[in-house]
Amino acid sequence: MKRVGIVGAGVIGTWHAARWRQLPVELAGFYDVVAGATAKAVEEFGGRAYESLDTMLAAVDVVDVCTPTSCHQAPVLAAAAAGKDVVCEKPLARHLSDAEEMIAACQSANVRLFVAQVVRFFREFSQAKAILDSGRLGHPGLIRTVRGGSPPFIPPSGGDEGGERSWFADFEQSGGVIMDLSIHDIDFARWCFGDVERVFARGLTDADAQLHSHALIVLRFRNGAIGHVEGSWADPPGRFRTLFEIAGDQGLIEFDGLAPAPLTVTLKANARRMNNEQAISVPGAESPLHPTDDPYYRELEHFLNCLENGDEFLVSPQDGLEAVRISLAAIESIRTGLPIYLDGFEEEAA
Amino acid sequence: MTIRIGMLSFAHMHAYSYAACLKQIPGVELVGIADDDPARGQEMARRFGTRFLASAEALLDEKLDGVILCAENARHRSLTELAAPHTPHILCEKPIATTLADAQAMIETSAAHGARLQIAFPVRFSPPVQRLKAVLDEGALGRIYSVKATNHGRMPGGWFVDKALSGGGAVIDHTVHVIDLLRWFWNTEVTEVYAEIGYSLLHPDLGIDDAGMLSFNLATGAYGTLDTSWSRPTSYPTWGDVKLEVLGEKGAAKVDAFNQHLAVYSDQTGRGEWVNWGSNIDLGLIRNFVDTIATGREPFITGYDGLKALEVALAAYRSAETGLPVSLPLGST
Repeated sequence: MKRVGIVGAGVIGTWHAARWRQLPVELAGFYDVVAGATAKAVEEFGGRAYESLDTMLAAVDVVDVCTPTSCHQAPVLAAAAAGKDVVCEKPLARHLSDAEEMIAACQSANVRLFVAQVVRFFREFSQAKAILDSGRLGHPGLIRTVRGGSPPFIPPSGGDEGGERSWFADFEQSGGVIMDLSIHDIDFARWCFGDVERVFARGLTDADAQLHSHALIVLRFRNGAIGHVEGSWADPPGRFRTLFEIAGDQGLIEFDGLAPAPLTVTLKANARRMNNEQAISVPGAESPLHPTDDPYYRELEHFLNCLENGDEFLVSPQDGLEAVRISLAAIESIRTGLPIYLDGFEEEAA
Repeated sequence: MTIRIGMLSFAHMHAYSYAACLKQIPGVELVGIADDDPARGQEMARRFGTRFLASAEALLDEKLDGVILCAENARHRSLTELAAPHTPHILCEKPIATTLADAQAMIETSAAHGARLQIAFPVRFSPPVQRLKAVLDEGALGRIYSVKATNHGRMPGGWFVDKALSGGGAVIDHTVHVIDLLRWFWNTEVTEVYAEIGYSLLHPDLGIDDAGMLSFNLATGAYGTLDTSWSRPTSYPTWGDVKLEVLGEKGAAKVDAFNQHLAVYSDQTGRGEWVNWGSNIDLGLIRNFVDTIATGREPFITGYDGLKALEVALAAYRSAETGLPVSLPLGST
């Protein structure tokens, strides 16, 4: 059985841990630079708390990198140097040159690198891709996506006193809503329609609206198709929004994640406690699936199957890199007010 | 250890889905298919990569661990009586039978031969329905006042509208799923049913009931209604629905078991349809059947569950005949 070590015991790290526990692997434990974070994760999911990355690397076969975006590179390079296969949370890296270096290091060390672009493993998205591929929509034409919610910057418990803001709020660390949220849909759109020729985007920057991040991104694909991607960390409180539609010359797929949920539970006690705005977002709105249909389970199961069978990953390292490149180009377009052509696009040195 | 399963008849369309599920479960062998329609049986055997056997007896001679019966409702009894001496686990499509006497005979025959009879109520395996059950088990809604349910469908045609084979139309077809859920949720029984039934109401000259509106009481003290109608036209984007709204003293819960879908429109087919992306509930049912065989544990859904659900449908027909509420349990029919 493969031994898996998780770097970064935050939200995604614990989500992954819960799925590793359901898969035929040994969850060896966690490493985190934040003191105390690992203790909590170990208590919940087992394994041990490693005091250094090196001690973890010596004890595992697979490294699952779940750190903040700007901290993906170091553990991935270390894992490659130690000859360990890697799962890396999206985005592959905060900067293009980092991503390229990570891919090259994994290649030359002959270790597998899986970029966890999880949206490809959501059943609503993968089924839409299968319908598109079946030809029922005819020739691909347009794709529109929405992914958004209220800002994740401030813990629900706290005000915005210093120290309480998460790393998402720091553009240098997260790349804002485009690199953190929209990159999911950028990758999905590219999976559906192929490579992007150019991108034009408008959006909020930190200077425009503190603690809000939002973008409207227009894509033109090499096959002539057009895309529109909205990402938002500026919504009022409410259910997180995920929508998409894919149109061809003979058909259309629509998905609205805000449609009434399969299960809603409304309790009088909760409604009384809530103000009006919150009462709209019923906490009991759920869209449950069988545990093996869960997207995080599916992506990690896929990773293990590919390791065992030697199959290519559904998300190649190059796919992860291109998603970063398009996201950075969208940011560059907002900055310059011009369309950015992806061919030959390189990030300006930070 | 391979678990050997056979399929008896593809008369009910759920057989296609069950066969596909069997093929995806590791350690399960679809040993063969028998069908009194040999053309259909041979085609299915080809499609699912298994053998066609010329008779039910030939299939049952294969020392099966389990058999799945998807014959017409009225034939469930005779096939169960044929299978029970040979096959230790029987999964029978719903409704269990067309009369209480047949259902009782199936339960007794199975018991006499030590065979375990299970009924296919796949909606119990819907993750949204299972979450609702968990919410109810926590007591979050307090005392339950009522439940309003629908199990709509398209008019299926074929033997479903031939009373001699089906036992009835929309009411017998679509009462049993939801009633089974309610019995399971609260470990209770229906105590009284009143029903308005429509014959050829939505499909002129159909000659059988295609609309049913049941009003019932449960032993818990809750009341409710269930719409069993074949009221979805062929142009409707999906086959139908299973929806329940539970009202309690502390809150309300709504489940729409099949509301995880993409809306897909294609000029190639000329219409729109909803393509489900939720978990496959038939796979849950078949996995559970296989697990019952593998572990030898008591079945999750028994022949008795099938009988009690059928009884409510039969009571609904009786109510429509008499124009009065009918008390349950029914006397011998």
